[in-house]
Amino acid sequence: MKSEKMKIASVIAILVALILAIGIFGFSCVSGLAPIGWSGGVVSDGILYVASLEGRLISMNLTDQSRLSAETLKLPTQSGLFGCSAATSCGAGTSRVPIYGTPVVSGDLVYVAGYNGKIYAYKTTNLAQRWVFPRDGYLSPFVGEMVVAQNKLFIGGSDGWVYALDAATGDLLNSFQTGDKIWGASTLDNDTLYIGSFDKKLYALNAADLTLKWTFTTEGSIIAKPLVSDGVVYIGSFDRYLYAINAADGTLKWKFMGGNWFWAQPAIVNDTLYAGSLDGFVYVLKTDTGVIVTSFNLGSQLASPPLVVDNYIIFASHNGIVSKINSITNEITQIAAISFNIDGPLTVHEGILYIQTQDFSLQRIDIISGALLPAITLISG
Amino acid sequence: MNIWELLIQQPLTNVLIVIAHVFGGNFGVAIVILTIVVNLILLPLTLSQIRSSKKMQDLQPKLAEIQKKYAKDRQKLAQEQMKLYKESGVKPAGCLFSMFIQMPVWFALYQSVMLALAAVPEGLLNLSKYLYPWPVVYSALPLSRSFLGLDLAQPNIIMALLVGISMWVQQKMSTTPSDDPRAAAQSQMMTWMMPLLFTFFALSFASGLSLYWVVSSIFRIVLQYRVSGWGSLRKQTAVSADAGKKYIKFDSPEMKKTTEKARDEIIITDKESLKKSRGSSLLDKFKIFGGQDKDQQDRDK
Repeated sequence: MKSEKMKIASVIAILVALILAIGIFGFSCVSGLAPIGWSGGVVSDGILYVASLEGRLISMNLTDQSRLSAETLKLPTQSGLFGCSAATSCGAGTSRVPIYGTPVVSGDLVYVAGYNGKIYAYKTTNLAQRWVFPRDGYLSPFVGEMVVAQNKLFIGGSDGWVYALDAATGDLLNSFQTGDKIWGASTLDNDTLYIGSFDKKLYALNAADLTLKWTFTTEGSIIAKPLVSDGVVYIGSFDRYLYAINAADGTLKWKFMGGNWFWAQPAIVNDTLYAGSLDGFVYVLKTDTGVIVTSFNLGSQLASPPLVVDNYIIFASHNGIVSKINSITNEITQIAAISFNIDGPLTVHEGILYIQTQDFSLQRIDIISGALLPAITLISG
Repeated sequence: MNIWELLIQQPLTNVLIVIAHVFGGNFGVAIVILTIVVNLILLPLTLSQIRSSKKMQDLQPKLAEIQKKYAKDRQKLAQEQMKLYKESGVKPAGCLFSMFIQMPVWFALYQSVMLALAAVPEGLLNLSKYLYPWPVVYSALPLSRSFLGLDLAQPNIIMALLVGISMWVQQKMSTTPSDDPRAAAQSQMMTWMMPLLFTFFALSFASGLSLYWVVSSIFRIVLQYRVSGWGSLRKQTAVSADAGKKYIKFDSPEMKKTTEKARDEIIITDKESLKKSRGSSLLDKFKIFGGQDKDQQDRDK
């Protein structure tokens, strides 16, 4: 009788192990199920502000690498029995709030928006919290970067709303609803706020009251941050097109088709546009006509927005390769390669490139020599 | 991209997106349709599995007989069982084989569902690697996550319960009843273990995945019903219904007759049957009890 029970128990154990193995294998095969975050950094007065993958704002004196950190952002609820699901985070075995948008410094405040649907303002001196929006409860996740200007903070949320807050108090001033969620960043140019939505439209809104000026409809969702230069808005879409739109009336100037989505904001140097696509190519186009000058294959997705440093445009690809394009000669050079994926924004300060990586550290690269400098850990405690 | 992703995951993901686009960007409908389509493609395999299971059910009385007959001779029992399987055209490993053939397909479907869901920024970025250069695919994304009031990217308790119930019904219908207590215990364990485990999974993972499990189970329930009816589910229901009834035992006047009389009747019956089978001449050589068993009377007292 005992052996019968043992046999049944062993069958149960094997079955459970088999199913768990299938489950674990299945989930390991599909990456990108849990949000992790990819915030970049901002440097102000020699202090680097970065939102870590642990879900906290960190300020670091770049001279001596001494640092301060704010309280960890709080999750609204825990979903699922394991404390993680497709829409919440369970990275590194802990519950934390993913942060995608790069912090913004304005005056004596530094702002950060979390995937928990809250926006926080901290004092730059000691990272003490000044205000939080909303004061009670949580909105839908914030993914896109915010803009702080004219004493206002502008941000789009996953609920499809564009919010304008009082930058000093966090009070809601105006809001505007788009047709779908917003994961992209907004751009403010003079009195107009440009923002793309998953409803496939680019919106031009009056910054004063968030009333609509015009919309431009593409064939795909928009996540890229608009680039405004000389009265033209450049925006990439999921329909594989990069659009040049007249800022005054929202009419099309030209469009260019790439091989995959345009995820990141392009860069302009001397009437030449450099746009990275998720097909791994950097397309170099004439800004006035959209005619292609040349293209560079970086071999992996280009989700990280490029940086312009002097005459160079720096691109970082998903496979960890950092390259620079000489805007005068249009030649590309590999600066360095790191063993981590790069999808988030880059930060540069005094010739050093800072990239936050999945090992909870800041990689540092000398952009002149390409030397990899010792990484800085962002792990708390 | 490895071979698995290139040949299985990528095509399936793109088809899922196209279906969603055709149905107004509704990802829930796309999951339902693709699950049905994949099930239809696998229909021959599934049918052979169900039929094999049905044959096994039909063979149970004969198997029980053999088990009784050769209870002490394991080797002979195995031989006789194999012989019976062969004669009836049943392949006991056939069920397992077809299940293992189907597993990669379920796997790919599940992975594609999770991939196309792209609920988080990293997921959406990852998805872009798998897209075919079809304009319809590029412009269809991201897909709508809401379906019948559900957020397909979030766990949902109702969907988890539906997963458990539908899987239990399907398991119950396909369970082969057995007189062997060990086999019966294993079947019972399977019937409960799988639904419970998948309910547990469904409580933790995106309900888009639960939707796929529920539709798969319903498809197989319908198929199972068409081939072999309600199977063990009906038998279980009947037994349960009987078990629920209360009976009062009556001793009828006839039952209170003397044991001698009863024994006479039994012995006469045996005698008759023996006569038929062996002939009267042979019978006369045996002494048949006449209902005057002294020892029995003592035991009754």
